[in-house]
Amino acid sequence: MLALKNIRKSFNGTDVLKGISLKVNEGDVVTLIGPSGTGKTTLLRCVNFLEKPDEGEVQFSNFQLNYSHAKKKEILRLRRKSAMVFQQYHLFKNKTAIENVMEAQIVVQKKTKKEAYENSLELLNKVGLVEKKDYYPSQLSGGQQQRISIARALAIKPEILLFDEPTSALDPELVGEVLNVIDQIARTGATILLVTHEMSFAQSISTKVVFMDHGEIVEEGPPSQIFNHSNRLRTKEFLKHFTNNYQKTTSL
Amino acid sequence: MFEFNIFAQDFLNISTVIPSTLALALLILLISIALGGVLAFIEQKRVFVLWKVSQLFRSFLRGTPLLVQLYLAFYCLPVVLQKAALLAYLPFNQNDFNPVYTVIVAYSVHFAVFQSEIIRGSFLSVGYGQIEAAQASGFSFFQTMRRIIIPQAIIEALPNFFNSYLSVIKSLSLAFLVGVVDILAKAKLESALNFRYLESYAAAATAYWLLCSIMTYILGIYEKLIRKRA
Repeated sequence: MLALKNIRKSFNGTDVLKGISLKVNEGDVVTLIGPSGTGKTTLLRCVNFLEKPDEGEVQFSNFQLNYSHAKKKEILRLRRKSAMVFQQYHLFKNKTAIENVMEAQIVVQKKTKKEAYENSLELLNKVGLVEKKDYYPSQLSGGQQQRISIARALAIKPEILLFDEPTSALDPELVGEVLNVIDQIARTGATILLVTHEMSFAQSISTKVVFMDHGEIVEEGPPSQIFNHSNRLRTKEFLKHFTNNYQKTTSL
Repeated sequence: MFEFNIFAQDFLNISTVIPSTLALALLILLISIALGGVLAFIEQKRVFVLWKVSQLFRSFLRGTPLLVQLYLAFYCLPVVLQKAALLAYLPFNQNDFNPVYTVIVAYSVHFAVFQSEIIRGSFLSVGYGQIEAAQASGFSFFQTMRRIIIPQAIIEALPNFFNSYLSVIKSLSLAFLVGVVDILAKAKLESALNFRYLESYAAAATAYWLLCSIMTYILGIYEKLIRKRA
C-alpha cells in the first residue's frame, strides 16, 4: 500500500534520515517510536511532502513517485490521498469546528455544501463533538481541537492517515479522549502511520512497531516482539523506562 | 478674544472640504495598499534584484520627511511626465498638471512602505501550521491563500490599515504647500479673509478631532466583533 524506499534527508549538513525503507500494508497500524530527534516526525512529513526528502522513492496506492524530481501535480495527488494529524492540531482558526471538517471536502473534493455538511456531522459524531460544531477552535480545549482535527483528516477519506505525535501537546487528562478516538478508527480497518511517545498505546494499537534511532530503523516487528522479546540492546535500553499509562475506556 | 460665531462659521466652511479630503485619503490608502502588497511580495519572496531595489527605496522613503518627498515629486513628476509625453508624442503640458496627482503619487508611495510592513506582518501572523494543514489536505497554493490565509490576514491587517487611513488624512494637511486644499488649507484660506487665525485653526483642529474620533469609534465596534471569534 505504502512503500518508502531509501528515504534520505539532511538539514544543513546533518543527516536526519539515513536511507529509510518502510512498508505499510493496507489496514496496518504502524507505529514509529524512538528517542526525540531521531527523525520520526521528519519521516512522517516526508511521506506527504511537507518535508522534501533529498532522495528516495515512494510507492503509494497505485502510483509511484521519485522524491528528488516530483512534480507539483504528483505531490498534490499524493496529498489528496493521505491526511495528517498534527501535534499542534493546526485547525483553521477562522472556521468553526464543522467548517474545519467541511473545508477540504468543498475545496479539494468539490462536494456540495450540503453533502459536506452531512458528512461532517457524521464525523463529528464519531469523535463525540457534535454539540461543539459551531465553536471556533479558540473556544475548544486541546483534546477537543485534536479530535476535530482527526475528523478533518478523516473527512477526505484518505487511504492512509498520518499521525504526528497527536497527544504530545495535551495534558494527561486529555490524552485519553484522543487515544480512544484513534483506537476506534484503527478498529475500522484504516491504514495508519503513527508517531507517538505513548508506549503502552503503541503496544496495544499497532500491528507493527518500528523503533528508530539516529535516523535509522533499528528494529521493526509486531509489538510483542519489540516490547517483550527484543534482541537489540538499544531497543531494550529505550523501552526500559516506559510506564503503563494508557488504559482503554469504552466511553469517550 | 475668541469669537464663537467666527469659529462656527469657519467650521461650517471647513466641513465642505471634508468629503473631498476623505475621498482623496481613501484613494491614497487603496493605492498604497496595492503598492505595499507588491513590495511585501517582492521582499518576502526575495525576487531577484527587485528585492535590493525595494530595500533602497524603502530606506530612502523612511529616511526622508514626507514634506521633502512631496516637494521632490512636485518638481520632478511634471517634468518627467512632460519628457515621457514628448517621447510618446502625447499632448501634455506640465503647466496644466494638477498638483493633486502629485499628492496622490507622493503619498501613495510614501505610505506603501508602511503598508508593506502591515501586510507582511498580517500574513506571518496566520502561522505556518495552518498552511501545512491545508497543504496536507491537498489544497493548492491559491486555494490555501484564498480560503485560509487571506481571510485571516485581512482581519489582522484591517485595524492597521484603518490607522494608516487616519495618518493619511492628517498628513494631507501638508498638501496645501503644493496647492491642494484640504481641511487645514481651508482653515488658512478662511483666516486670510478676516485675520481670525485662532478661530479658524481651532475649527480645523475640531474637524480633524471629530473625524478621527468617529473613525476610532467605528474601529472599536469592528474589533469587538472580531474578538468574539478569536
